[in-house]
Amino acid sequence: MKKARLKHFILSLFIFGLLFILIQISRSIVQDIFANPSKYFDPNLSITEISYLVFYNSAILISVLLSYTIYLLFGANIRAEASATIKTRALSEAVQQLTDIYESAPVPYLVLDSKANILIPNKAALRFFGVIKEEILGKNLFYYQPKEDGERVEKFISYYNSNLPINREEARMITKNGKIKSVLLFVFHLTDRLHKGHAGLAVIFDITEEQDLAKAKSEFLSLASHQLKTPAATIKWYSDVLLSSDLGELNQKQRGYAQKIYEVNENMIDLVDTLLNVSRTEIGSLPVDIKSTNVPEIIENVLGELSGQILVKQLKISKLYDKEMENLKSDPKLLRIVIQNLLSNAIKYTPARGSVSIKLEESWSNKSITISDTGIGIPPSEQGGIFSKLFRASNTKDLVDVSGTGLGLYLVKSIMETLKGSIDFKSEQNKGSVFTIKFN
Amino acid sequence: MANKNNKNTILIVDDDTNLRTILFDKLTLDGFNVDSAHNGKEGLEKALATHPDLIILDVLMPVMNGWEMLRKLRLDDWGKNAKVTMLTVLEDADAIAQAMEGGSFNYLVKTNEGIADIVDNVKNTLEV
Repeated sequence: MKKARLKHFILSLFIFGLLFILIQISRSIVQDIFANPSKYFDPNLSITEISYLVFYNSAILISVLLSYTIYLLFGANIRAEASATIKTRALSEAVQQLTDIYESAPVPYLVLDSKANILIPNKAALRFFGVIKEEILGKNLFYYQPKEDGERVEKFISYYNSNLPINREEARMITKNGKIKSVLLFVFHLTDRLHKGHAGLAVIFDITEEQDLAKAKSEFLSLASHQLKTPAATIKWYSDVLLSSDLGELNQKQRGYAQKIYEVNENMIDLVDTLLNVSRTEIGSLPVDIKSTNVPEIIENVLGELSGQILVKQLKISKLYDKEMENLKSDPKLLRIVIQNLLSNAIKYTPARGSVSIKLEESWSNKSITISDTGIGIPPSEQGGIFSKLFRASNTKDLVDVSGTGLGLYLVKSIMETLKGSIDFKSEQNKGSVFTIKFN
Repeated sequence: MANKNNKNTILIVDDDTNLRTILFDKLTLDGFNVDSAHNGKEGLEKALATHPDLIILDVLMPVMNGWEMLRKLRLDDWGKNAKVTMLTVLEDADAIAQAMEGGSFNYLVKTNEGIADIVDNVKNTLEV
């Protein structure tokens, strides 16, 4: 705006200068006319008539120049104002468009003040909370979270107060009728100074339905697994009795068949247990009981279970235990599932006469369990997906007598997350794999 | 309490006929006096009437489940100290049981135990 005014001022000065020069020129012409009228006019004209003509023409010239100056001076302003009006209108239209988009977006948006009190909720936000605008204005966004989530809510509040964004955090929010919804929460800080007091923008993605579906799926899995356990127990006990000599001795062939039934059933029980644990981690109902955990004892116990395979394959097992690991703060049941899966994989995928080593270490920053093998390894191109559900490496297909559910490592990863630890691995095809789990 | 044959008596309460049958046969073979019931209601009636030395109790059953039967059993003068082994497919039921104040009892997961393990457990519990 200031620049435009300056431009007009300079232009006006220029026009005035031009006018001044023109008046000077016309004055010298007039003087010349009066000095030598015969040069310009009919010598028969009287001096009054000449004066009149000169005056008349000069007046026309001056008034034309004056009006052009005035036009330039004020017209420029008018033009500027007109173009400003057009721009303002376009701006207000854009603002209106943005407001419309904000208002009618299907995703709940809420503009917040510096204390996270709600200033402008959009329609989707009102629908989400089941309220009318007046009911929610001025209320704190974090007030709409269940009391049980206190710790999480405190974290959000401290994030907000320290100007940190809340990005894609899973949270629960309560609506007016008391329904608890699962959401992904985003809260960004607004740096726009046009509207004083607008400090943040909350965006809420309602994932209740997706979560309900996932939960229903996991609950179905849990129910189905429990139902499968009764027939599995039945097969186990009947083949137990057949294999014992309680009902008389079986011949070798009969015993072999009964043994097969027993073994296959044991595999099925393992699978059902794994499915149950997977569904438990997914429902979030895996009970965690942190206490003093004797890691070497768990390892020895698992090795005992796997001793049959170790013997048949003539595997060399080396162990390096740290005394500190006899007293690890963890959940022994869950840690056993992790160790059982990793050890049974190492043994399963290591060819005869290979070796498996178990190393327990403690450093100032963490405690770790490392299980390495000289097995078939995981092809490099597949290493990215080993912790995903139903993963099976392509090089396991040619192995005879090796079964896998594709759930083991997925479960291990989920449990390690539940235990707030981590898992890493290195693997080279046909050389072996190293899995390391760490606890802080 | 021993019966007139001086054998320990065991009451099996389970709704699954096949499981009930194999347990019944195996424990009978091993010299126990065995009776069975197919839900908590029938089990409770038989238990209170015959005072068995041990009750092997399933959890998930129709009519009356195992927890309910255990709770009611513990209200009885004889039943409050009766020996009970819960035998179920539920892995994490011990926590539930404690919350329900079912008194002391053994706890076995069906698929984790071979039938010989169950017999051993029964013998240990009955101290025979």
